[in-house]
Amino acid sequence: MSTTTRQIVLDPDAARNRRARERGPVTRRSARRRGLLLPLAFLAPAGLGYLVFYLWPTVRGIWLSFTSFNLLTPAEFVGLDNYRRLVQDPLFWDSLGITVWYVVLNIGLQTVLALIIALMMHQLTRSTFLRGVVLSPFMVSNVVAALVWLWILDTQFGVANQVLEWLGVGSIGFLTDEFWSIPTIAAINVWRHMGYTALLIFAGLQTLPDTVYEAARIDGAGETRIFFSITMPLLRPILALVLIMTIIGSFQVFDTVAVTTSGGPANSTNVLQLYIYDMAFGRFQFGYAAAMSVALLIVLGIITFIQFKLTRANKTDLD
Amino acid sequence: MSTIPTVDPATPAPTPTPAPAAAARPRRPRPTPGKVLAWVAMALIVLVTLFPFYWMLRTALSTNASLYEDPAAVLPPEFSTGGFARVFGAQSQEEALAEGGAATSLVFWRYIVNSLIVATLVTVGQLLFCAMAAYAFARLRWPGRDLVFGIFLAGLMVPTIFTLLPNFVLIKELGLIDNVLGIALPTMFMTPFAIFFLRQFFLNIPREIEEAALLDGVSRVGIFFKVVLPMAAAPMATLGILTYMTAWNDYFWPLMVSYTDDSRVLTVALGVFRAQSPQTGTDWAGLMAATLVAALPMVVLFALFAKRIVNSIGFNGLK
Amino acid sequence: MNASHRRSRRLRGALAGLAAAALGLTGCASEGGEGVSSSSKTIDYWLWDTNQLPAYQRCADLFEESHPGLSVNITQYGWDDYWQLLTAGFIAERGPDVFTNHVSQYPQYVSLETVQPLDELEATAAVDEGEFQEGLSELWTGEGGRMYGMPKDWDTVAAFYNKDMVREAGLTEEDLATWDWNPRDGGGFEDVIARLTVDENGVRGDEPGFDKSKVEVYGLGLNEAGGSSFGQAQWSGFAAATGWRATDEPFWDTSYNFDDPRAQEALDWYFGLVDKGYMPAYGQFNQADGVAPQIASGSAAIAFDGSWSLRSYARSDLDLGTARYPTGPDGQAASMMNGLADSISRDADDPEAAAQWVAFMASPECQQAVARDGVVFPSRQDSTPLAAEAFAQMGLDPEPFTAPVEEDEVFYFPVTDHGADVRALAIPALEDIYANRAPASTLDRTNRAIDVLFETGEG
Repeated sequence: MSTTTRQIVLDPDAARNRRARERGPVTRRSARRRGLLLPLAFLAPAGLGYLVFYLWPTVRGIWLSFTSFNLLTPAEFVGLDNYRRLVQDPLFWDSLGITVWYVVLNIGLQTVLALIIALMMHQLTRSTFLRGVVLSPFMVSNVVAALVWLWILDTQFGVANQVLEWLGVGSIGFLTDEFWSIPTIAAINVWRHMGYTALLIFAGLQTLPDTVYEAARIDGAGETRIFFSITMPLLRPILALVLIMTIIGSFQVFDTVAVTTSGGPANSTNVLQLYIYDMAFGRFQFGYAAAMSVALLIVLGIITFIQFKLTRANKTDLD
Repeated sequence: MSTIPTVDPATPAPTPTPAPAAAARPRRPRPTPGKVLAWVAMALIVLVTLFPFYWMLRTALSTNASLYEDPAAVLPPEFSTGGFARVFGAQSQEEALAEGGAATSLVFWRYIVNSLIVATLVTVGQLLFCAMAAYAFARLRWPGRDLVFGIFLAGLMVPTIFTLLPNFVLIKELGLIDNVLGIALPTMFMTPFAIFFLRQFFLNIPREIEEAALLDGVSRVGIFFKVVLPMAAAPMATLGILTYMTAWNDYFWPLMVSYTDDSRVLTVALGVFRAQSPQTGTDWAGLMAATLVAALPMVVLFALFAKRIVNSIGFNGLK
Repeated sequence: MNASHRRSRRLRGALAGLAAAALGLTGCASEGGEGVSSSSKTIDYWLWDTNQLPAYQRCADLFEESHPGLSVNITQYGWDDYWQLLTAGFIAERGPDVFTNHVSQYPQYVSLETVQPLDELEATAAVDEGEFQEGLSELWTGEGGRMYGMPKDWDTVAAFYNKDMVREAGLTEEDLATWDWNPRDGGGFEDVIARLTVDENGVRGDEPGFDKSKVEVYGLGLNEAGGSSFGQAQWSGFAAATGWRATDEPFWDTSYNFDDPRAQEALDWYFGLVDKGYMPAYGQFNQADGVAPQIASGSAAIAFDGSWSLRSYARSDLDLGTARYPTGPDGQAASMMNGLADSISRDADDPEAAAQWVAFMASPECQQAVARDGVVFPSRQDSTPLAAEAFAQMGLDPEPFTAPVEEDEVFYFPVTDHGADVRALAIPALEDIYANRAPASTLDRTNRAIDVLFETGEG
């Protein structure tokens, strides 16, 4: 195992040079043939899956956002009506705001914790047991994670509030109070995902060139300084990638909210995906739900674009 | 390197060759305050991560009545295996109702089999097809490659709610409603993340190895299956287990597609079990028992593969 | 070995499916995989209430005995998943043949043409509606005069109270049987619940020194604001006692009356009980569990709940009594009345067979079996006494539930179009009043949004 691992970490420049050398003495035609047939064959199954289960539904969803569609009778084209309604719908903007607040809390807390765990896994101990432990919450589903915490945080019978009472703090309506419920839901999902995120960051840490560290240490740099002036800049592209993925996931929070608060009290946890879902499958206004999904798609697209730009920009620092 | 006393012996390995803790003992450095703090933080994180699991077990092994009387007891306030008995339908209606649950007609072993089939189909299909596609994106040269890759990657941003209905209609048109294949199909071919993840890894496989094989007269297809795939065993295992867990824990999609025991998977059964709770309050003991039963196969799987997953996640040399 | 046999069959099925999928995707298959419909006549029936499952299973057994060649397969899903799966089932044409329906949902299904008019099917057309409790068939009759659900039961709302707590408070059961109420000071009803409220120091709610921040026992239990059901099991009886009705016409109206000052006054009083410490604040108890656990755990002395919960309360070890809503300014002690019904799906394989099962569930034979089980009041008038007897045997007096029906002091669950949209607006609005103690006048805004909804279909 360790031999394969070692071979992986090679100088990217060397690979690039070799790529230039690769065009061997093959004829142009066969090269083109090989150049198309083979990739096509390799891509075919995944490409089919992409076309059928990603691209086509997306195109269809965008089309439906211009229609009035109740799921059971044929859709009717209504032009921009759904988008006009979206702009004027205060609930949509509220739920977008709630979702952003959730994402900020969830991603902020999760990234910091995952970074700390990754650093500790890297520098403190390499115990497999520990890695297993931090990944363990990922073994239960969102629904189960939500249920367990619902029980632990129950106002009346939850152990968390029992402890708080005992400490004299008094019980907190973790999932029933307007102020607490979004942070609590964010924390529950941090619990489930932080180990997973930590492992991704940890994998990135393993790739950082050691020579830089040695040089810094010889220069007498402290651990804190090393972290901020070496580790973080080097880790940035990986962090950016992890962030893209976790943010996209975070924006689509649904299960946890559906189980713990169903959007209440008084819509204070009505995250976007919940609003969309209820609009589509609870209220049969699929056209409008599709328009809101398009809005979500655009938001996710912008975030991804910005982050990819940041990743690219930072890559030059690395080399 | 050995002149710097504060460096943990495990840290400086540029290639992750896990240093056994025992070997490091003779040179263990003096604990600094920072180290102590880090260990305390680590212990805290482990505690928070594992506590809900302990609480599930403690709740599952209690009687419902005692849970309400003594909500903060660390050990089961009144020991009982009734929760597990209800999960497996080993209690009569009267017994179950007396203990605050409902007698179930659920056949959990069957749902375990269904879950295994779905998760296996998804994992095997996705791994193979995504590895093929990732190879085409990483190693084969063909016109439009980066554009197509970008389009695939954009699939990351598509909100799941967007694809839910069109995919459902498609599965219906294929006659795969209430069929395990219908549950597996949408994620069986690809996910953008899996392709991206594996492409990163393939980019770093030294070309020399492939070139040597080419010179030996091995075909490109042969290289992929005989050389590249075996080398990618570690990241494939990582991705595989994450995919398996994700497929195993999916709730929403299987809920829509499955209608009878023919295709009901564990997560859906868990939801049904929960819905059978009588109106006098949630059957927490039974629910937590069911949750543990549902998570158990994942724990076993994880224990078997833990070393492999966490030792190398293929994020080396992120591009 | 049976297991492995089945597994291999499943795998083979999966492979066949895969082949079908591949064909279907390339568009070469003429029949991509239309499910093979079995020739045996099995009627798929769905319901959501676990408590009722055993009784209807007994009905199904009786039905199969008297209808050779037909069998009934009952599936239960929890309320939350139930409607989602039903919708998915309609889209996939894989739903049940017959399902338990709710008045808040069926107008939607009627307008989507997913349920069949029962008058057009032989067996259901033959059922005499005059046999049902009054009002039930009206609940299930659409705007065009057609019937979309065969009434299977009815329900009313009354108070459950802890007899020991009442005695300890120096009250008599007579005090609860004759209580009155008005929206200004809560009348005799508020006196009772104030008296029944006890703080951690043993001080009662109507005594000096009562600490409303440390309440041990609440006079009145509550778990949710009732926005999804017009306060059916919460505040509907109080609001109605002012003469208010959610809609002017009981059925198929096109506007709601949430802006009526009478209802708002009643709601301000009702949720004001939280400020006084007589009723638990929002979130103090698990909403999903219902209000019954508050009584069972001794956290509340009185709780209003529907007759569908009688059996749940009967399971408690406590000595419980029942009482009607207090007599209001209008001189009545009215309760909301509602009822479930069975509907036949558009996709039913054999509508006539489905109709036979639906008609059977409304027959004396089945209804008496259900009545004896003591889970609900079946829809037929002649089975009500049987159910009442069954409840009495469980130790609960059913009279407060039946009396409003006998004395015609009932009002109905509003049946209108846009039910789901109205709920989506009303739930947060009432939660705002309960959880954030917003004034009930904020419902003016909700009502305007509902008006827009009926005008434009957007809300």
